Amino acid sequence: MTTWRSALKAAASALIAALTLITAGAAHAETTITLYHYQTGSNYEAFRRLLNEFEQKNPDIRIKDIFSQSEQITADLQAALAAGRQVDVATVIGKNMIHFLNNTPAVPLNAEPAKAKFLDNYLPVFLDIGRVGTKVYAVPHAYGTPMVYYNKDLFRKAGLDPEQPPRTWDEVIQASLVIKQKTGVMGMGHLHAAMRDYGTMLMVTNAGGKYLSGDGRCALFDEPAGIAGVQLWQDLVVKYKVMPVAEDRQMQAAFNSGQLAMYITSSASLGGTVASTKGRFELGVANYPVFKEGMKRKTPNSGAALMMYSPAGPRRDASLRLLAYLSDRKIANRWSRESGYMPLSKNPLSDPDMAKYVSSFPLVQPVIAQMSDTVPTATWGEKGALEAQTIVSNLMDSLWANQGQALKLVPEAVARMNTAMGCAKR
Amino acid sequence: MQHSGLAGPNVLTVRRTVAPFVYLLPLLVLLGLFTYWPLLNTVWLSLMRWNLNPGVPLQFEGLANYQRLVDSVLFADAARNTAYYILASIPLKVLLPLPFAVGIWALGSSGRIYRVVLFLPTLVSFVVISVVFLWLLNPIGGLVTQLGAMLGLPPGNVLASPTGAFWTIMALSTWKLLGFNILLYLAGLSRINRDQILAMRLDGASDWQVVRHLVWPMLTPTTFFVLVTTSIFTIQQVFTPIDILTRGGPFNATTNLFYMVYQYTFRTFDVGLGAAGTVVILVLLLAITLAKLRFLDRHVHYEQ
Repeated sequence: MTTWRSALKAAASALIAALTLITAGAAHAETTITLYHYQTGSNYEAFRRLLNEFEQKNPDIRIKDIFSQSEQITADLQAALAAGRQVDVATVIGKNMIHFLNNTPAVPLNAEPAKAKFLDNYLPVFLDIGRVGTKVYAVPHAYGTPMVYYNKDLFRKAGLDPEQPPRTWDEVIQASLVIKQKTGVMGMGHLHAAMRDYGTMLMVTNAGGKYLSGDGRCALFDEPAGIAGVQLWQDLVVKYKVMPVAEDRQMQAAFNSGQLAMYITSSASLGGTVASTKGRFELGVANYPVFKEGMKRKTPNSGAALMMYSPAGPRRDASLRLLAYLSDRKIANRWSRESGYMPLSKNPLSDPDMAKYVSSFPLVQPVIAQMSDTVPTATWGEKGALEAQTIVSNLMDSLWANQGQALKLVPEAVARMNTAMGCAKR
Repeated sequence: MQHSGLAGPNVLTVRRTVAPFVYLLPLLVLLGLFTYWPLLNTVWLSLMRWNLNPGVPLQFEGLANYQRLVDSVLFADAARNTAYYILASIPLKVLLPLPFAVGIWALGSSGRIYRVVLFLPTLVSFVVISVVFLWLLNPIGGLVTQLGAMLGLPPGNVLASPTGAFWTIMALSTWKLLGFNILLYLAGLSRINRDQILAMRLDGASDWQVVRHLVWPMLTPTTFFVLVTTSIFTIQQVFTPIDILTRGGPFNATTNLFYMVYQYTFRTFDVGLGAAGTVVILVLLLAITLAKLRFLDRHVHYEQ
């Protein structure tokens, strides 16, 4: 009986102790917010370091980061919102922005002006993607800009000056032909991204064309400049035979192993490419080629922005504090340095750490130089977006299979895209 | 006494009537919750316009989603490819494992190693297999490309050709499923009494006659099962290589209804259209299963 009582007393004491601990914890209540992202490898480590430091400075906030593949994050995020799971801050792919603005309960970041001063840290052009009237729903986070990565050893082997990388598309083609002739290695590759959408947009925009209307409902690249941009992409494969038809991952792997002389892909790949090519060959990075001599370079950004879904109260306050922290010039610059994404703050080189980094790491200098050439990425409207993107993908398949020239195939494709998207007025 | 004498048989009858349902209840609840409720909900959603956003009310669209589906850029190609995937899977995934299984079975216990080797691909993640093949088939220096060059074949990207891409996905999914179907056939073969084979041998039957008159008839239930499950499984099994290797291209040559439904539902959040596509898949699978039951079941030997 005594043993039984002792056991009961011990249990009661343990319960009281546990309740005391819980109550004490509640007195220093922690707010946990979730952050959906697609960072992997060294980028994730860099990102998590920033989040850890934020948590140290804000002990009342915990950040649960939730990973999803970049190609899957849109679906995962939408599913999480539909299932009513906790979503506070989310990485939204730029081209899906209109859909997320129209169809998800995103919270304007400047609803309370006093808590939105951090928005002033960004270049205004980078906020346009998430701006609806006076409200701002998104801040840039993982923006990339397309760069030419090239193999200096192959340039030397082909008798080209590796310190004079091609500046125009004509020079890219000439260099590729020489490299193919002298070394037998394929000249170049150009990223497509999902549904070949970003690659086509980039070609069209850099050629001076317009890809989509502002509301994302109309395709506009059946004008001469747009057709010229698409024709160039066909010519690289069909006419000059300097570019293989391959998936992005295949081209990146081929470049890293020295089997492709130049690869045009996002600046976000800088860190990974430097690590993968170290000890194999000397890496060079150059600006995206201008379409023709004398033309200005125009490169839509790739990547994603951060949106907020927290309900009013402690979670929203915590999310805003996190976004403000990430927008801080020193933090944003550090994120850029450690990830390879574009610097997003105003005048990044006025930060001594950033200036020192850029001077000590020449490969990043073209990325900084190209910031002024960046234009907002085109975003798709809601109706018929999948059909339209499928038509773009099939258009490029047709061009690369040499089933016709851009002058004939592009207007047909654009007409079908506009029918699918219900484009009433261009 | 009189009362209890009358009540006894009644209680027993009630018990006998109710008891089976009590035993079945857990299963019925699970079936209802995870099979029939989602099924009915999908049919209902196929009549609605919704974007998965819980804050947005559903709008009744009626059969308009089905009309949009038929008019869409993807549907005709996806439906045609689905039929191709199913048809191609019959010789490759249903019939091809049969000689392998018979061969391993004939070897007896020494055939175990082959069973393990052939079953291994079933255990490997399809994502991993697809990524590995993405490297092997890399047109710039991939192993297959290099071997082709050594044999004097022109360089090219097999995944850039509609035919090449389709058959690459078929080959991968066959390789992945072959071992599993072999195992099913081996299970079917284990039902065959080897004494019957000895008896046939004593009567002078050849190998072919044993297979034709004993093994094949005894395997018809298994073959029928493999045929139905493979047809159904193939539609969703090829999803992973489609997503990783081709994303439905080139020229929509590798997409199928399952992948199209995923794209509509989770890429553009057109839930009504995705649900309409799912209902089409349901009707298609139902039709295939019923047709097989109607035309093939009569040739199946269920008795030893």
